[in-house]
This record gives sequence, C-alpha cells and structure tokens, in this order.
Amino acid sequence: METILQVHEIRKHYGDKEIVKGVSLSVRRGEIKVLIGPSGAGKSTLLQMINFLVFPDGGDVFLEGRRIDPSRRRELCAYRQQVGMIFQEFNLFDHLTALGNVEIGLVRVKKMDKKAARRRAMAELERVGLGDHAGKYPAELSGGQKQRVSIARALALDPKVMLLDEPTSALDPELIGEVHAVIRELGASGMTMIMATHQIGFARALAHEMIFMEDGRIVEQGPPDIILDEAQCARTREFCAKIGELGGRP
Amino acid sequence: MDFLPVLKEGLPYLLKGTWITLVVVCGALALGLSIGLPLAVGMVYGPRWLRQLIGLYVWFFRGVPLLVLLFLFYFGIFPFLGLDLSAFVVAVIVLGCISGAYQSQILRGAILTVPAGQMKAARAVGMSDTQAIVLIVLPQALRLAIPGWSNEYAILLKDSAVTYALGVAEIMARAHHVASRTYQHLPIYISAGLLFMILTFAGTRLLGVVHKRVRIKGYA
Repeated sequence: METILQVHEIRKHYGDKEIVKGVSLSVRRGEIKVLIGPSGAGKSTLLQMINFLVFPDGGDVFLEGRRIDPSRRRELCAYRQQVGMIFQEFNLFDHLTALGNVEIGLVRVKKMDKKAARRRAMAELERVGLGDHAGKYPAELSGGQKQRVSIARALALDPKVMLLDEPTSALDPELIGEVHAVIRELGASGMTMIMATHQIGFARALAHEMIFMEDGRIVEQGPPDIILDEAQCARTREFCAKIGELGGRP
Repeated sequence: MDFLPVLKEGLPYLLKGTWITLVVVCGALALGLSIGLPLAVGMVYGPRWLRQLIGLYVWFFRGVPLLVLLFLFYFGIFPFLGLDLSAFVVAVIVLGCISGAYQSQILRGAILTVPAGQMKAARAVGMSDTQAIVLIVLPQALRLAIPGWSNEYAILLKDSAVTYALGVAEIMARAHHVASRTYQHLPIYISAGLLFMILTFAGTRLLGVVHKRVRIKGYA
C-alpha cells in the first residue's frame, strides 16, 4: 500500500524545553497507528503539528508525496480539510446545534450548496448514531455524544487521514464504549488513522502498529502484540505493564 | 404652588430632549461597537505593534475626561481640520470614540471567555483565521458581552448629559434652560432625573430580553 502521510524529523520546543525531538513516521493508506506513552511524551504536540495547529520548529510533513508549506495559507486550509482532527475535549462549536457543527465546514469551507450540505451532515450524524440529536446544542449532549458529533464533523469533509488525540480520555467510563464503537467502524471502513490513547486493550485490537513515545522521541514501534508483550526496550515493557494492569490485561 | 403649570409646559419640552438624548446615546453605542469590535479582535489576535497601538487609543479615550474631549474636538481638532460639525454630531463622535475604547475591553474579555479549543477546531476543519473569528468566536463572544454592554449603555446614557456643555439640546440642556427661566429648579431637575432613570430601566430591560432571546440552550 502506498504511503499517504509522511512526517520527517519534526521538532518543537517551548523555551528551553524540547517537547518533540525530531520524530519521523509514515502512514500507509488504510493503516492505523496508535501512539502510546506517558503524559508529556509529546504525543499531543506531535499530532497537532501534523496539521499545523502547532507550528513545528523544523521538519516536514508530506501528504501523498507533496510537501506541505504551512506559510501558504490557502494551501494550509486545503490541507487541513484533508486531515480530520479529533480532540480530547471535543471542541464543538457551542453556539451551533449538532447539525450546525457538521454543516458549517461544508457550507463555509467547501462552499457546498446548503441543501446538499444539510443532507451530507445528516448522513454523517446518522453514521455515528446521532440522527435523533441533530437539533441539540453541545450543552445538551453527553460527552460521548459530543465526541461522536466531532467525529461526524471531521468525516463530513472526506478526510484522507484522521488524527485522534486521546479521544476518550475526557469521558466517563460508561461513555467510552460508544465512541470506541464509532472509531472501530471507521477502521473497518478503511480510514487511515493516527491515534494517541491510553486505552491499551482497544488499541491492541485496532492498531496495525503501535508507537511508544517518551520524552519527545519514538522509543519503539511495531505490531501491537510485539510492543505489548515482547517489547525490546525495558521502558516500553514497564509502561505497557503498568497501563495494562489499569485497564485489565487485554 | 406654581410648579404645576411649569411642568405642564416644561415636560413636553424635556421629552423632545429625551429623543435627542436617545439618538445621541444610540448613535454613540453603534459607533462605539463598530470601533470596539475590531479593536477587541486586534487586541486578542493582532500582532504586538497593533496591540500597542490599540492600547494607546484605549488609554487616550479612557484617560481624558469627557468634558475635556468634547471641548478638544469641538473647539480644537475639528475646526483645525477645517471641519464645521454641529455640536450634536461632535457629541455622537466623541461619545462613540470613548465608548469604543470601553467596548473594546468588554468584547476582549468576552472573546477570551470563548474556549480556545474552538478556534483550534475551526482551523482544523480548514477555516481561515478570519472565518474562525467571524463564524465561531464572535457569535459566542457577542452573546457573552450583552450584560457588560448593558452596563455600558447605562454609563453612556448618563455621560450624554455632559454634551449639554456644547449646547446639544438634550434632556439636561433643556432642564437647565427651563429651570433658569422659571426658577423651579426642584421639580424640573427631579423630572430630568426621572427621565434618565426611565431610559436606564427601559434600555437595560430591553437588553435583558435580548440576552434571553439569543441564549443558547443549556449554555451558561
């Protein structure tokens, strides 16, 4: 399978502290990569640098072989439409209904005709099981529903890759399942994804590759069974053992 | 008592002034919003030099007393520029510029209250920064600003009485005129005060209703 997204030697520092120290990775079409590692490892910064919500200090990002130049605003906006982003805190637009949240990108960014946009937005909401909640505002939805709306919002733009930054960490344990189900569906439909998560069991079942990050670097990467059970690096083993205990050994 | 005939004649005269007061205040509020909104956006999202420039503007219009500004513009700056503007127009412009300075601070606070994550999410769906501000941040910030805005209306309303010094025929000017002619100071100034109180009440009440009407369900 061809490489769809490539990140080359990307780095970021805030003040004296280097958060991401030159990370490279490449993702093939349909591949699912899961980032694991302790808080502060740079997972979130890495994900946000991939679509330039955080501007890297150095390094390049390529989509389908083309280098993205983030200083060209049009190119950047066009690129971001092709890379869906899911945030830990959902970040729904609070003044718009669920439908409005999904629709606005279609109407304002893709310049889609209003009727067509509404149909498409409705279809995406139904896809994440929220057809009945289209008219509700974010404050009227549960955390799990909000996250599903945000997934619908990203999907509506037909992204080539989805970036998920701990999509279930802000959720009540009871609500995690419904979001996982949607993400699993996405994976089954062939969506390319890079996801940071602490849900090891879920990650093992979903990921084609796991990447263990610590201290701004990739420490180890490989198939989930290898990383979780027979990691080369002692630190990876230690981390996986601890986090595995928490979630119940998958 | 001879204040009743005075009131009977004086009140319609004061009521005409009430219209002028209202027009001055509404004009100044509108001008203030059209100045304050871009200033607030510049203050939050603009580059350093722009923020400093805006800071200077705010400092000037908040720092100099209203009466000084009115005289400075009416007798000084506008004639110097060769502009022959009526007292009424100058009153609206000066009050509008001052209100712009205050409104920029009200709106800046409101913009900062909108969670920053929404700006990120807007960029992530491919919006330009301008789109994100106009479509996502401002619709929420303007709603949040209404209570502060209501306060600004009340202050501006009372400040407008000072424009009497330029000869704008608003409530205060007319009250002074009637009182100094009839020597019925007490009933006339009580009436003037009551008119301002009614305007304050009506305006803040109206904004309260607007605030409720545009409220987003389930939102604080």
